[in-house]
Amino acid sequence: MSAPRSAGHRPAAPRLDHHTLEKYENVWFGIAVIMSVLLFVTVLASFLSGTAPSLSGEGGHHITGVKNGRLDPGNFAATPFATPGLRHNADGSYEAFVIARAFQFEPAVLKVPVGQPVTIHVTSADVLHGYFIEGTNINATAIPGQVSSFTTTFRRPGTLNLVCNEYCGTGHHNMVSSVKVDVQEP
Amino acid sequence: MITSPLYSPHAARETPVISDAAYLASLKKVTQYYIVTAFLALLIGVLIGPLQALNYGGINVYDTPILKALLKSYYQGLSLHGVLNALVFTQFFISGWMLYLPARDLGMRINMKFAWFTYLLMTAGLLLAAVPLLTNNATLLYTFYPPMEGSPLFYIGAAVMVGSSLLVVGQVVAMWVAWKRANPGRVTPLVAFMCVATWMMWAVAALGIVIEVVFLLIPWSLGWVGGVDPLISKTLFWWTGHAIVYFWVLPAYIAWYAFLPHHAGGRIVSEPLVRLTFVMFLLNSTPVGLHHQYADPNISVAWKTMHMFLTFLVAIPSLLTAFSVGAALEDAARARGGRGLFGWMLRLPWGKPTFSAPVLAMVSFILGGAGGIVNASSAFAPVVHNTAWIPGHFHITVGTATTLTFMGISLWLIPHLTGKRMPSVRLASAAVWTWFVGMMVFALGMHWQGLVGVPRRALVSATAQSVYRDMPIQIPQMLTAISGMILLVSALLYFYVLFRMLLSRRLDDGEAASPLPYSEVISPAGQHLAGASALVRFTEPLLALWGVALLLVLLMYGPVLARLAANAELVPGWRLY
Repeated sequence: MSAPRSAGHRPAAPRLDHHTLEKYENVWFGIAVIMSVLLFVTVLASFLSGTAPSLSGEGGHHITGVKNGRLDPGNFAATPFATPGLRHNADGSYEAFVIARAFQFEPAVLKVPVGQPVTIHVTSADVLHGYFIEGTNINATAIPGQVSSFTTTFRRPGTLNLVCNEYCGTGHHNMVSSVKVDVQEP
Repeated sequence: MITSPLYSPHAARETPVISDAAYLASLKKVTQYYIVTAFLALLIGVLIGPLQALNYGGINVYDTPILKALLKSYYQGLSLHGVLNALVFTQFFISGWMLYLPARDLGMRINMKFAWFTYLLMTAGLLLAAVPLLTNNATLLYTFYPPMEGSPLFYIGAAVMVGSSLLVVGQVVAMWVAWKRANPGRVTPLVAFMCVATWMMWAVAALGIVIEVVFLLIPWSLGWVGGVDPLISKTLFWWTGHAIVYFWVLPAYIAWYAFLPHHAGGRIVSEPLVRLTFVMFLLNSTPVGLHHQYADPNISVAWKTMHMFLTFLVAIPSLLTAFSVGAALEDAARARGGRGLFGWMLRLPWGKPTFSAPVLAMVSFILGGAGGIVNASSAFAPVVHNTAWIPGHFHITVGTATTLTFMGISLWLIPHLTGKRMPSVRLASAAVWTWFVGMMVFALGMHWQGLVGVPRRALVSATAQSVYRDMPIQIPQMLTAISGMILLVSALLYFYVLFRMLLSRRLDDGEAASPLPYSEVISPAGQHLAGASALVRFTEPLLALWGVALLLVLLMYGPVLARLAANAELVPGWRLY
């Protein structure tokens, strides 16, 4: 056994050369591109299969007093945010209106029905807040002057924690409330 | 002029000789000032870190009398930690590093008065912004989202500091253009190429934050306009805010590509491929920022999805880097007699901190990059967005890939600049390894807590409700707390080595004792464009590629911002800290 053990500059085995490398490089480049495209396709598939959450992009808010997804954060009176909470609309659909303000959510406990789609609209009365329901993928920013809307179905009854996950000041970490998923009609 | 009669395309590059000693001394001095200012900021920044790690370990130390005298709140400490480490440390280090390298690589003479003026202006901006930060008048965290409002001094100081980095861009690009004029038909040497491409990328990227601060936040904080649109500001912030991570890692890539093979005893794999990587970053780094805004309303899903696609594409140059640098290390190890599929790794000089720092930084970046793809995916993002997962992620990207590389660079660059010597290889090596281990443990604890649902940037150890106490997070909490202590030890070791080095006497001629560690090349780009490969010729016209990069950003951001501006809803500021 007389393998060269020196750390010198002249090894016995042939070293990598330009041609071998170029071949490997091209193969790796191909693999990298395919992986990236596959990733994208997979995310698109999750949109179609409904496993990704649907924060509605923009506009489309048919809420009184809300225009292009915007409203005056100093004057909720003309909008349904004046009385935060769940509504059962005439067409049978459920909508919830939530205000985030330092350092609480209104309503303090949001009651929602189990197994029914609910559209939740969130806005802020002051600075940015986060609307994050623990154990779910519901995660939206509450922005003063704007409405974040998304539709979701709570499948199991119980109480979920709702936490603010965007820095909003000294009391940020105490901005915690809950969502109560009820079997009965709320 | 850089022509050596003994030129061989594969040989390690010789640094062009600068005969004017006074000029060289001044160039080295301004570089040293940038680097030392950077590490002073890092020192203050990292000393706050363990307090935050304890918070995520469930221990609230912010009510102790000593801390109460120093910091008004956890949030003030966090603002200092984020701004000093992520903005100040990186920008100062990079400004010195990427001013010095191209000047030496091209052998060009730059205007030293302008270079010093830029350094002083950047420092003045830093000091202006530091006053409100230290007096709890800008406790806005690193992202400073309005309508949380800080003192106008903070925004003005930040604008001056970031704006002066654009002066460095101007000086380096002008130097490169002058070199091109003086050397028609020549291929830009690799290190200068990487620096110029990175600075060009930063110039495009920085526009977002400069527009946000100068046109929206400064007039608003001075009371000249009645309100601010939080979503427009946030969108402009992330125009810069994602690309800035490439502004942090590309200077580390420069060290990984050009100098690490030398430290390992090996060769750069392929210069044309490195050039392609940097051009891909120049084009693709910036039009990706909406992937930070999946949770925001009033931006269409179509635009968010396009940015997601471009984000996935920007993974490709990083994957190419992993290949190239991995091959360079294997080449080095096999030259030292390394054997086997993985056994060659044992032959690398793991005890040498100038080697271990960048390599461990890269190992960390493989994990961090994989996590980054999770964050960028709009299907996964809602599970981890604004949870402890995110700081877990960026401490193994910028906190290790960049920071540990810069620490490693300082160990040879300061001897090179000053003629002083690294006082202890063993202590420096211990600092490097403990940083790596500490960050790995921290990342494990924080990613884990994030998946359970613990939010980021919150004084969770003092939450009045029982929400976090009821979560199954005892083990990750313990890991996070322990990691803070490991990192504290690491920082103390590193800064001891750094300051002993800086305060020691000059013993060598830095040029001779610690020359720029250029590496040999397996596949060089060549010296003349005429005989060069298509890839080299395609990547050489950086000015044109810069224009394409700007165009891409305008295409990907113009319609989004125009629509936001058309529906702008100005809201008043608040100070809730």
